[in-house]
Amino acid sequence: MIRRLALRRLGFLAALLVASVASILAHEAARSVYPHLVYITGWALLALMLVLTGYNARKKLPFLPLLKSSTWLQIHLYLGLFTGLAFILHLQWRWPGGVFEALLSALFVGVTLSGIVGWWISRTLPKRLTTAGGEVPYERIPVIRRALREEAEALVLGAIPTAKATTLADFYTGRLAAFFDGPANFRAHALGSRRPLATLLDDFIEVDRFLGPAEKETSAKLAALVRQKDTLDFHRTAQLLLKSWLFVHIPLTYGLLVFSFVHIVLVYAFSGGAR
Amino acid sequence: MSTTAAPAHDRPRRWDSPFSDEITDADVQSLLSRAPFVNMKADNFPRSATLPDVLKNDTRICRYKKGEIIVREGDYGTSAFLILRGTARVVLSPALPPSAVGRREPARRGIFRAIAQLWGNAKEDEVARKRDRSRFMRQDEGETHIILQDIPRILDKHRTATINAGDFFGEIAALSRMPRTATILADEDDTQLLEVRWQGLRDLMRYDPALRSHIDRIYRERALSTYLAEIPFLKHLDEAGKAKVMAATQFETYGDYDWSGDYKKLAQSGGSAGKEPVIASEGDYPNGIVMMRAGFARLTQRYGGGHRTLNYLGSGRIYGWNEIAHNWRQPDNTVPLQHTLRVIGYTHVLVIPASIIEQVVLPSLPKHLLPDLIKTEGADAASPFTRTPFALAEEKAKDSPEKKSEAASAESRVGSELMEFLTANRFFNGTETMVIDMDRCTRCDDCVRACASTHDNNPRFLRHGPTHDSIMVAQACMHCADPVCMIGCPTGAIHRDSFEGQVVINPATCIGCTACANNCPYGSIRMTEQRDESGGILIASDAKPIVKATKCDLCIDQYGGPACERACPHDALARINLNTLDDLAAWLHR
Repeated sequence: MIRRLALRRLGFLAALLVASVASILAHEAARSVYPHLVYITGWALLALMLVLTGYNARKKLPFLPLLKSSTWLQIHLYLGLFTGLAFILHLQWRWPGGVFEALLSALFVGVTLSGIVGWWISRTLPKRLTTAGGEVPYERIPVIRRALREEAEALVLGAIPTAKATTLADFYTGRLAAFFDGPANFRAHALGSRRPLATLLDDFIEVDRFLGPAEKETSAKLAALVRQKDTLDFHRTAQLLLKSWLFVHIPLTYGLLVFSFVHIVLVYAFSGGAR
Repeated sequence: MSTTAAPAHDRPRRWDSPFSDEITDADVQSLLSRAPFVNMKADNFPRSATLPDVLKNDTRICRYKKGEIIVREGDYGTSAFLILRGTARVVLSPALPPSAVGRREPARRGIFRAIAQLWGNAKEDEVARKRDRSRFMRQDEGETHIILQDIPRILDKHRTATINAGDFFGEIAALSRMPRTATILADEDDTQLLEVRWQGLRDLMRYDPALRSHIDRIYRERALSTYLAEIPFLKHLDEAGKAKVMAATQFETYGDYDWSGDYKKLAQSGGSAGKEPVIASEGDYPNGIVMMRAGFARLTQRYGGGHRTLNYLGSGRIYGWNEIAHNWRQPDNTVPLQHTLRVIGYTHVLVIPASIIEQVVLPSLPKHLLPDLIKTEGADAASPFTRTPFALAEEKAKDSPEKKSEAASAESRVGSELMEFLTANRFFNGTETMVIDMDRCTRCDDCVRACASTHDNNPRFLRHGPTHDSIMVAQACMHCADPVCMIGCPTGAIHRDSFEGQVVINPATCIGCTACANNCPYGSIRMTEQRDESGGILIASDAKPIVKATKCDLCIDQYGGPACERACPHDALARINLNTLDDLAAWLHR
């Protein structure tokens, strides 16, 4: 039995495919008989962009009966892909020559690509977060980071009188203090690399050779804290990415809308008797 | 946000909002001179809640014309009634259709009021508005009475009984936090009733042992006859057989009425199934069937050195039926109980002795309704997933093979680990539990923002909570089947909506005593400081902030249901009834 969400995806994909093929065929057929087709595709493109932007307005009006957000998102995603095709048809399969039009087109591509990237990370990162465990709200991350740092420092300081040596403390100061002090390894976590953590844990093996039994016990606890901090850093990275892609997508969208309105004014101002 | 404190206010108190303003001192004196109040010892009542005070503030006198409906079957009610004058008629069976009794959905905001939230919502958090205070001040006043048409026809087609002056009714719903079990209408013109809200009834019962034992007795009698009428296998019995079953049935209660404290202690001590009280044990001889009436019980089976949770049983589920039916059919090859039934929370059960089942019930049943024999060996041995046996048998007779397998496998689709998680955390109690699929949740907090937008800029839940695998149960009011938060409320501010039973708080009558927040086993109620329109915190005359209890109200007055669920872009969040596993199984495999 096909699950409900898979069935929904199939339905939208089928609708996208049919609409795309029909639009291309209709466009190519009309192109030869209707010389000002570009005006129609332009207005259609603007209408599609306004509908797509409407999703952001829906999010700000949760108390109005305006369909579920998940329904809006599905429409936004597939309509967004279709709008990409409408854009290509409007350009008549060629990149524009003028500076303003090129900039407008670049904005469109930027909005589309940032949307696709956002879609992809929204589908992949939540699973990685769940697998990593240690779920934590984003706002709580600095508090937990500070608690981990204080716990690590207390462990290291507590080991000095027992061991009558500062080997572990020196290791902490030289190798771990910066790691515990703030967010670390953003790029590695974003790319899914475990290398920084593995390197740190290898350093523990190195330093363990110089530690007594009591210090080794502290070192093991410290390594556990390093793993916790690494998970916390991963949560920060992933949640930051999940939140911040919208800070690219939405400003580009509003920029695109402004440029589009200017484009319309320019087209109608300078088209003269072409219409 | 302003941090300047507003001028001091009087701290809200229990009887700031009495049940009715219309009850006079003369009415109170009149009540005190008649049974049962005349027999009550005033000295038994504390100074903080004297008998006249309880009568003055927690009761009201209502008058009904002949045929007017007093309570409707299925409505949630938090008050009981004493007939002062006249008689009332209770419709026993069959129940009246909803259209005849005028059941209607609660009023939601109109479209214009929904849109007006764009500019009408306060800029500050938790602003205590005057219009809200007046709107909620009398939650039940202004109710229009509904007159039942064509009473002679109803008397002809429905079995009814009469309740006379001096009798109580409505106490089952008021005391058990369950819906009204029957429709009751006035049988004479100018029938006069004393309506007692449950906080008052609780005090009267607490300080007058005679009333307590009287209410307990009628509660048991009426509840038993109502509950037995719902048992499917009694449908096949004649009247004599039903009477035998009724006479032999025992009504038992396990656990503490306010089980929240026990649960918290158990959880703190790392509680496990092994520490919960047992109703019936695996391996014992089955000497009766246990039918769940209210609350929940955990079904476990020995596994290694511990106990594995196989299911939890809620209202209407039956335990021990398969074993007794097996032993009746195969007296030479008897089996003991296959599972242990443990108390989780406050649990009402009916116990029907095995001898009555064997002598009266089983011989009356058609063969296709008998359960399958229990297999003690092989792969199919003793299926642990004890569903209501009649539901299964009827499914077997009617449904397609696909439907049968889907229904029978809800427990296996959920999985034993998740079931253990739900049971250990008592989440089965939730009828609108907020579950989040963390594999789909992008942590965007659109749900939190939507909740804040629809609730005074202050979200009514935390997007955080216990997690099993990828399923998180967020800290949001679950609108429990057994809402223990309501137990200690001194004013009735926290109550069930009469139509659909959502647990809601009336801010006008909440005095900020924190009883509900402390009682909630799930930490889903938060006390929030109240502010005036300029954002200043309201300070009481004792120089402390005025706080009120806040929690999810399921967007009861908004279009389209809970804003959190509608705001989730990724279909990650759902409000699910966990009383049974069917909805959860369907959502997990959506």
